[in-house]
Amino acid sequence: MRLDDITEAIGDTPLVRLDPAVHGLENIDLYAKLELLNPFGSVKDRAAWQMARPLLARGAPGDTVVELSSGNTAKALALLAGMHGRPFRSVTNRMKVPEIKELLLLLGAEIDELPGRSECLDPTDTDDPLTRMYRELAGAGGGYLHTDQYFNELNVEAHVHGTGPEIVKDLDGRAPDYFIACVGTAGSSTGVARVLRRHNPDVEVVGLVGAKSDFIPGIRTIDEVYEVGLFDPGVYDCLATITADDAIDGLLTLVRRCGILTGPTGGGAFQGAVRHLRTVDAGLTERKTAVFIVCDRVESYLSYVRDRRPEVFGRPPRRNSIRTLTDAEVAAAPALAPAAAQRWALEVDPLVVDLRSPHAYQALHLAGSVNLVDEVLAGLLHAGLPFDRRRPVLLVCPVGEKSARYAALLTRMGHPDARSLDGGIIAWRDAGLDLVR
Amino acid sequence: MLNLTPRIDPIIQSLLDDRDFLAQLLDALGSPLALVLPQQVTKNVTAFRETYRRHHLSGRLYYAHKANRSSALLRELAAGDTGVDVASLGELQHALGAGFTPDRIVATGPKNREFLWLAARAGATVSADSHDELAELAGIVAGHRLPRVPVSLRLSGFASPGVRLLTRGSRFGTPTGELPDLLDLLEKRADQLALTGVAYHLDTIGLPEKAVALENCLTALDECRTRGLRPRSLDIGGGFGVSYLADRVEWDRYTTELGQAVLGRRAPMTWHGHGYGLRAEGGTLRGSLALYPGYRPVSGAAYLDRLLGTPAPERGRPLGELLLDHMYDLDVEPGRALLDQCGLILARVVSVLRRDDEILVQLDINARDVSLEEHGVLMDPVVLPRAGDRRAGPAGVYLLGNLCLETDLITRRKVYLPVVPRPGDLLAFVNTAGYFMDFSATRALHQPVARKVAVYRTGGVRRWCLDEQYWPVHPRQEVS
Repeated sequence: MRLDDITEAIGDTPLVRLDPAVHGLENIDLYAKLELLNPFGSVKDRAAWQMARPLLARGAPGDTVVELSSGNTAKALALLAGMHGRPFRSVTNRMKVPEIKELLLLLGAEIDELPGRSECLDPTDTDDPLTRMYRELAGAGGGYLHTDQYFNELNVEAHVHGTGPEIVKDLDGRAPDYFIACVGTAGSSTGVARVLRRHNPDVEVVGLVGAKSDFIPGIRTIDEVYEVGLFDPGVYDCLATITADDAIDGLLTLVRRCGILTGPTGGGAFQGAVRHLRTVDAGLTERKTAVFIVCDRVESYLSYVRDRRPEVFGRPPRRNSIRTLTDAEVAAAPALAPAAAQRWALEVDPLVVDLRSPHAYQALHLAGSVNLVDEVLAGLLHAGLPFDRRRPVLLVCPVGEKSARYAALLTRMGHPDARSLDGGIIAWRDAGLDLVR
Repeated sequence: MLNLTPRIDPIIQSLLDDRDFLAQLLDALGSPLALVLPQQVTKNVTAFRETYRRHHLSGRLYYAHKANRSSALLRELAAGDTGVDVASLGELQHALGAGFTPDRIVATGPKNREFLWLAARAGATVSADSHDELAELAGIVAGHRLPRVPVSLRLSGFASPGVRLLTRGSRFGTPTGELPDLLDLLEKRADQLALTGVAYHLDTIGLPEKAVALENCLTALDECRTRGLRPRSLDIGGGFGVSYLADRVEWDRYTTELGQAVLGRRAPMTWHGHGYGLRAEGGTLRGSLALYPGYRPVSGAAYLDRLLGTPAPERGRPLGELLLDHMYDLDVEPGRALLDQCGLILARVVSVLRRDDEILVQLDINARDVSLEEHGVLMDPVVLPRAGDRRAGPAGVYLLGNLCLETDLITRRKVYLPVVPRPGDLLAFVNTAGYFMDFSATRALHQPVARKVAVYRTGGVRRWCLDEQYWPVHPRQEVS
């Protein structure tokens, strides 16, 4: 395959049959449409290109592409804008996935995060983010190319001409009996459903939305879908709810058992599909087919999964960690009150280690001390003692709590004279002892 | 039934269970009647102190007086170790009269010369919003030969790294970029002004914005130090919030259904189809819900705890640890959160009408006496039926106020009650001490403003007195 332009690689994604041993459906062939194999990594590549193409052809050279997106649409538009030498700006309600935020910055996008809700409510302030953005764009008097994914019919068109016909072609000209899709902008589900119904008016379309007060990237909640201009409840035979837990369960199944590197949206679609299809599977007398969409890739969601399933990332406990200390060990750690510590320091000239953050250390510290931020010291200690046993050590932290822990750990690791400044640098200051810059 | 059941603390519940007591108070003092529970406020102080302790932080808890005009609440707080944030000349006088020493008072908000003079004369800390205000204060101090006044600098307009975090513009505070000008002024006016620290207050429930502001303020404090000043505190304002509702599911269901009602997909739930900020355009829901999030999983002291555990956007270390590393005091100015479960408002049912299949309950109270609606807080009142008669119910009703005004509804939402009230019944609007009690109360139409009563316990007995009669001096507490 030889291409003149990366946009030619958008679309024509594979349709993969999943192993029945994984999903357990006896009478239904379940297919995954692998939209994660689009060049920018998601189903949004199609809509982004379809929407941006005419704007880019028409706009002036310095125009900024702008969209309300916190995820894959922004990513695809950032790349497309970059290819055309245009800046891209993403306005977002809340960028909840840190990796995506970082990635967008790497791609050269500008990101504007809208303010959180007001604590002292102003009942007259009822603008939704989109209205606010429309007004800002109108006020700017040009210079913006707004793709408007939640209302732009081209978002649906991308799937009417691409995703939908591809599925039918790969199923030898037949539409599946069931189509299950997560609802985000409603573009892919609406476009695909339209094509499938043309081939088979009886196709059952299941829309999946997030549980309220839950968060699954790329899926709107049951309330939020009604804010989407492209959303028409009539498209779906039913709307079902999935949770973040479902999404991660599905993600883990597809990743670990099917070799499909899906993100949580695809995981949710799989889980929602299997749950729905199980209710009909047993009653079937002939073979049926079902298709769901794998929207994007897992790599951008490591922190999303880690926050919700820390055990997935389970690692053996590290050596020489303060977490392994007992209360008794910490209580037994040698500690010196400020005045005594000052006398001892004059006597034995210990190594004074300040565990606080660099800015704080630079502002004020004990004369002659070195700054080893506790996290850095923790890293060094995993490998062993970083200090000579022959020189005493005085550890300093804000209130003497962390320093006591590290004194206990150093003692356990065989340091003969590691002491903690009792009450920390705050007690030192309050005792009127010298601090320097 | 779309109930929005309020969270009710056992102390308030025990009052609600004693209908005769409440009915006697109302008979004596009239409807509406406000009850404050001064001893409850110390529980909330303790919760905040616990968060401080967990993060090893020291610093002052300033009660934002504007949340309630009550003397009882203020005096009870004066008896403890909290400070007070006053935002007017009158509030400052009230605080001084309640027993707050000036070192426990911070003056915030818009300030006229008289307010500045009294703060300076007394020696309260002045949280300055601008260069001009600081200059005016210095002029007053010099002109009246007053001692140096402690000042903190309220900053605004913070920059965020990488991602531009937009924040609602504020009319208060000096943009961080102009800090050098403020410091020039402080150097020049060193005989009049003594810097204690910097401050911010953001009107948002969003943690990321507050994290940006807090870290920016740390940088500002570093800048003060490099100029040879000795700031010691960072005041992060208030906005810790309260969770009003008992049940997340009810809140979620209500807001979902409201959207559906606005779209015309279900029967209206509000007076004249009011959408609380939502509107339908071509079958799509537009606008944004102008309601306080009634159910908040993290609020009050727990919200502060969450903020202190949030990593600083730039330096990466949790904000609480950064404050500690730098040995700065953390000052906070909670209002609403300190008054959680500290009061309720009672009203009598005047009449009950049926019009066009709706039940209209006329109350002897108006929307300004219990300004829940104005603040976007939706929660059901508790019905305290008169003994004897049986009640129909449950039912959805509209609560009408006592002003001769079409718009005077206590709430524009249809309220679902377990029984249909009858004339003479009482309605209790619980947990209304923070901002809903007297913030907007008016004597329009010569309707009375609610009298305020303090209810407290001493020697194992419940007692009450008029709010202005309450002093935290209970005989049995004293050791002879």
